[in-house]
Amino acid sequence: MDEPRDDVDTWLEERVTPLLPRPGTFDQIRKRARRRKLGQAAMAAGAAAVVVAAAIVVPQLVQSGHVGGAPAAVSGSTTPVQQNTAGPVRPSASGTSGPDVTSATPRPTSAPVPPNFAASSVTFVSTNDGWVIGQAGTPGQCGPPDPNKCTSLAATGDAGQTWQGVPAPVTGAPDGATGVSQVRFLDGVSGWAFGPQLYATHDSSQGWKRIPTGGMRVIGLETVNGVAFAIWARCAGTGPDFAADCTSFSLYSSPAGQDAWAPVAGATGLSAPAGAPASAQLVLTGGRGYLLAPGGKLISGPVTSPARWRPVSTSLGVPATLPCAPGAAEIGGHPLQAMLASTGPGLALLCAGQGSGDSQVKTLYYSADRGRSWASVGRASARTIAMSLSGTPDGPVLVATSDGIDVSANAPGNGALSWRTARGATAPGGYSYVGMTTSAQGVAVPANVGLDAVWFTYDGGAHWQKSRVR
Amino acid sequence: MGTFRASDRLAAEELFHACYPRLAGWIRRLVDDDDTAHEIASEAFTRLLAKWSSLDNPRSYLYMIATNLIRDHWRKVGRERRALRAVSATIPAESVHYPAQDVDVRALIQSLPDRLRQPFLLHYYAGFPVRDVAEMLGRPEGTVKADLHHARARLRAVLGEAHG
Repeated sequence: MDEPRDDVDTWLEERVTPLLPRPGTFDQIRKRARRRKLGQAAMAAGAAAVVVAAAIVVPQLVQSGHVGGAPAAVSGSTTPVQQNTAGPVRPSASGTSGPDVTSATPRPTSAPVPPNFAASSVTFVSTNDGWVIGQAGTPGQCGPPDPNKCTSLAATGDAGQTWQGVPAPVTGAPDGATGVSQVRFLDGVSGWAFGPQLYATHDSSQGWKRIPTGGMRVIGLETVNGVAFAIWARCAGTGPDFAADCTSFSLYSSPAGQDAWAPVAGATGLSAPAGAPASAQLVLTGGRGYLLAPGGKLISGPVTSPARWRPVSTSLGVPATLPCAPGAAEIGGHPLQAMLASTGPGLALLCAGQGSGDSQVKTLYYSADRGRSWASVGRASARTIAMSLSGTPDGPVLVATSDGIDVSANAPGNGALSWRTARGATAPGGYSYVGMTTSAQGVAVPANVGLDAVWFTYDGGAHWQKSRVR
Repeated sequence: MGTFRASDRLAAEELFHACYPRLAGWIRRLVDDDDTAHEIASEAFTRLLAKWSSLDNPRSYLYMIATNLIRDHWRKVGRERRALRAVSATIPAESVHYPAQDVDVRALIQSLPDRLRQPFLLHYYAGFPVRDVAEMLGRPEGTVKADLHHARARLRAVLGEAHG
């Protein structure tokens, strides 16, 4: 760089005076690094393994009362279901399965969870380590830096037994094109808050940086294998209904450690026939991603390297037709008429009818060949409205509904499908989201955000326990 | 998984002794505080050692981490300063003396946008060639050169105004 000498040069050329390490520094560093490495190994095991399913962002059926005057957060969340290889979950002394509370994930600077935490999304990177985002505190008394921005983040290192407040993006609840409502983390270091704005952290949530999206709204984001994928959409929805009236969808990706977002070839400019408002959903597995696109198209591509995504085609080479299309977006941005999840070795698709009152026809389809062909494998209870679908590494699926959580007794495609209603999933108004971190452990977000809690299962969804975010 | 082989430990210790003093000194110049400099340097080495086996260029990684930690420190200090200003808005400000040039330039570097500040620190301040900086930041070399040029132009312009 041939530049004329100036004050900048003079300053830069001043000699840097070495600062010698204090006694014992290297040993301290080595011990800290070892502890951290153990934590990273546990997280990497979870993150690199098969991501089994991503459930659906759905509207909250019950609008809770305002939290300290703040607008009720849009409920719903998605989190990748990860097969965790860090070890089996320890049973608790009571005999009921409980969380393994040994966490090695580095925790950012923490503080007490603000009061009135209205959770809208949750994500886990291991059985112990997770984050929940929402609105908390009282507008006008939040912050610093902005007393009117009340988006809050809480973290747990013991599977929800305790929560701590950690720094959150300085923005509000979803309001048209601004605010965030969802959270995802790849590991203990890199994470994203989105819906509709996009923020990223690469230092364990100590600092958040807003990512420009050129006026597009981020309505979905998943991450696996060191890459983050997000659905960017052009939408006209206002208020908390930020993902309404979306007419164009594009898939973007970025290396997880950077903020270098770029469109994914073959998965851009997607729209429904005649430009009707639509929705889309993203599911990532360990090596492959699936985009449930407007109009019912399924587009797929590798998640391990930049590559073109292509429409999934049948054995005859023609584009595969899904049994149902996602339809228009609901509050939260994700489809309610078609819910895609990865489960066991295959894909599950829940086709939910329009619904009448509190009932709805729900048909589950299964594909064992990466979406090329689909077979109906049974119907879930029609007495409720489906809100979220999750798969598990072992194959059974879970459906969060307006009344609770339904769990399939067996894996789709493995005999006649039967269902049971989970015990303890008693949140009034049901659940907007359910996701399984392992085949045994999972988490659910209540549709009623005023409950300031999330629910955990440690036995594959049969029983659920409430965890207050406070 | 958590074990550190003896050969790795020796290599890490060697790098520590070779790089820590200059790294910490470099950081001190940017944060103007010995304790903070030690804290950031130690954290950078901790992260380095935690990823030791997967790194091709430990020194680049070390400085990248340190650069990000310095940025975070500046942000934190900035937040605290703003909060303090808000609290003490009604109290008459005392005059504070800073060593002029160091603080001038440091404040200006702090004010650069991330996109310009990172390559500026890594190239001019940590001494990495443009090609290495481009690789570290995942940007084309031409872009890094342009960013460096823009950073210098901004600093020069503001310094010129201040000293003119």
